[in-house]
Amino acid sequence: MPMTEPVLTKRIPTYPYGDPKDRHAVWYDEYVKTGGYEALAAALEKEPAAIVDTVKDSNLRGRGGAGFPCGLKWTFLPKDYEGQRYLAVNSDESEPCTFKDRMLLDFDPHQLLEGIAITCWACGLQTAYIYIRGEYHEQAVTVQKAIDEAYKNGVFGKQGLMKGKVDFAVDCYLHRGAGAYVCGEETGLLESLEGKRGWPRIKPPFPAVAGLFGKPTIINNVETLACVPHIVQHGSEWFKSLGCESTIGGPPSYGTKLMGVSGHVNRPGVYECDLGFSLRTLIDEYCQGMKGGKKLKAIIPGGISMGVLTADQVDAELDFDIGRKNDLLGLGTACPTVLDEDTDMIMVARNITRFFKNESCGQCTPCREGSGWIYKILCRIEEGEGTTRDLDLLLEIAGSMGAMPGTTICGLADGNNWAVRTIINKFRDEFEARVKPSLVPVTMSV
Amino acid sequence: MAWITKDSATQQIERRDEPYLSDEMTSYYTDSILPRYANKRAALLPILHDVQHHVGYLPFQALEEIATFLELTAAEVLDTASFYDDFFLEPVGKHVIGVCQSIACEACGHETMLGHLCSKLNIEPGETTPDGLFTVRTMECLGSCDTAPCALFGEERQDDLTVEKIDALIDKLSGDA
Ligand SMILES: Cc1cc2nc3c(=O)[nH]c(=O)nc-3n(C[C@H](O)[C@H](O)[C@H](O)COP(=O)(O)O)c2cc1C
Ligand code: SF4
Ligand code: FES
Repeated sequence: MPMTEPVLTKRIPTYPYGDPKDRHAVWYDEYVKTGGYEALAAALEKEPAAIVDTVKDSNLRGRGGAGFPCGLKWTFLPKDYEGQRYLAVNSDESEPCTFKDRMLLDFDPHQLLEGIAITCWACGLQTAYIYIRGEYHEQAVTVQKAIDEAYKNGVFGKQGLMKGKVDFAVDCYLHRGAGAYVCGEETGLLESLEGKRGWPRIKPPFPAVAGLFGKPTIINNVETLACVPHIVQHGSEWFKSLGCESTIGGPPSYGTKLMGVSGHVNRPGVYECDLGFSLRTLIDEYCQGMKGGKKLKAIIPGGISMGVLTADQVDAELDFDIGRKNDLLGLGTACPTVLDEDTDMIMVARNITRFFKNESCGQCTPCREGSGWIYKILCRIEEGEGTTRDLDLLLEIAGSMGAMPGTTICGLADGNNWAVRTIINKFRDEFEARVKPSLVPVTMSV
Repeated sequence: MAWITKDSATQQIERRDEPYLSDEMTSYYTDSILPRYANKRAALLPILHDVQHHVGYLPFQALEEIATFLELTAAEVLDTASFYDDFFLEPVGKHVIGVCQSIACEACGHETMLGHLCSKLNIEPGETTPDGLFTVRTMECLGSCDTAPCALFGEERQDDLTVEKIDALIDKLSGDA
């Protein structure tokens, strides 16, 4: 059953259900008047374990990029452990082309706070840190104001959740990053929270066992947590009625998803759609087609780390199967960037690699050196100085980088790998037209 | 991510008598920031942000004072501070303009905007105008790709940039000074 009314954007007017011009920050009173914190009240009536079961049963998959089942992650916390545990809210949102969490922070911060409060109750987490990227100055102010309101109204604080409705007390703090993409990686985030450089940790141990300050820690994306109140309030069957099943025998993609479209379309912006929504409909109808009537050339479907789609793949469905069906790394953040016929794909590859080169934290040689080499080669090709051999070299270097080939600590290098390989493989003609033939030296003996 | 080499052994640290961390600042940290975390080091990022907000950048003397306050070594503080692009270890202009250079912005004309800004101020990215008013830097995706090209002017994001919009913003900021 497709969605008939907005869920995450209930209070954030969004096409086709409302007009973004009417958006405003929803503060505590308005939030409560429109049904806010009812889910928390309902949750506090239940046993924490029952909430974990509901979320697990809903099959909610992480909205931060990896699509890991949220409820399952929660069950990795050690049982019968009485001490301090943490929630780290991933609000780093630094993946290029991604701006969906920002909308939730700008306009409906209490929806996130309610999700945090329920998650802390369900998992027994006493302290939550919202790790927000440093560049989100205005959003930090908004979220801090909402946190202050939540304390004032007894949601958080010593007295126990919701004015002491239960004894269990939760504290919630905002923690600002300072301009490092790698701090979005969950263990880089924890290091950064601890006041260190954001160097991702070698796993195991996984954060659910030994995370922040060595204590059990759950890390979830903003949008993931914003889904939690709705699941608790309406049940897992309702959530499963949204979204879609897998058609290739994989795990399902239930629920709605925020999709932020940018690039050469007439009406860029964030839309809320069922998972499984057609990319073509998103571009042609929601975004009102290509700007200037230009022809579509390529789509970066969900953050630059996932790879690219060609115009022929525009019928792709935006769900967690998209990777396997279309030779991509995955759904990523589901924020497509649409590129028209005038876009130079060598520029695109060069731009993307510069990002990874700049943002590599430098711990792993293949990532640190590889990203620099790839960038230099792409600059050379862009300037018309590349050779055919460079293309094979690029594919070889890119293909050997990443946690999946088993050479790096975190997934940043996989992003570089997939972006470069898919752009070259899917637009090889364009690259070949730009490079000079490699001359094989011939030695003649006389 | 900054990959800088530091001349740690020979570096001369400029010093002033008045400490960068005032009593007012340290008591704020003690009362409001330290209690949020399980150890002192975790308060480092919030404190670095606060000091940079007051001073404009992070002088080495301030890093040493922060180290003393948090019972860390100066090297530990520098290690963290130098990792993050948004912490400035050298003075910057009164207004720092960060132009997004990531792909949605480059596809939508960031080069024209950056070029115009630089030629208007007569500096290259990474430089500060001689009057100390403006620094221009390039930044990665600002999370506002639907309004590309965009830039941060200080703490405020400016969307859907045009040459005219940049002119108006610079004129306004120059006038304010
Ligand atoms: C290099 C890198 C950057 C990441 N950046 C983010 C980010 O900005 N926001 C986010 O939510 N997840 C990010 N992730 C994914 C997180 O590691 C983690 O999977 C996610 O926060 C888990 O939350 P979820 O299960 O709710 O999606 C990043 C991963 C990598 C490898
Ligand atoms: S893969 Fe790259 S970003 Fe990730 S830990 Fe290794 S060097 Fe750092
Ligand atoms: S690419 Fe410039 S804001 Fe995202």
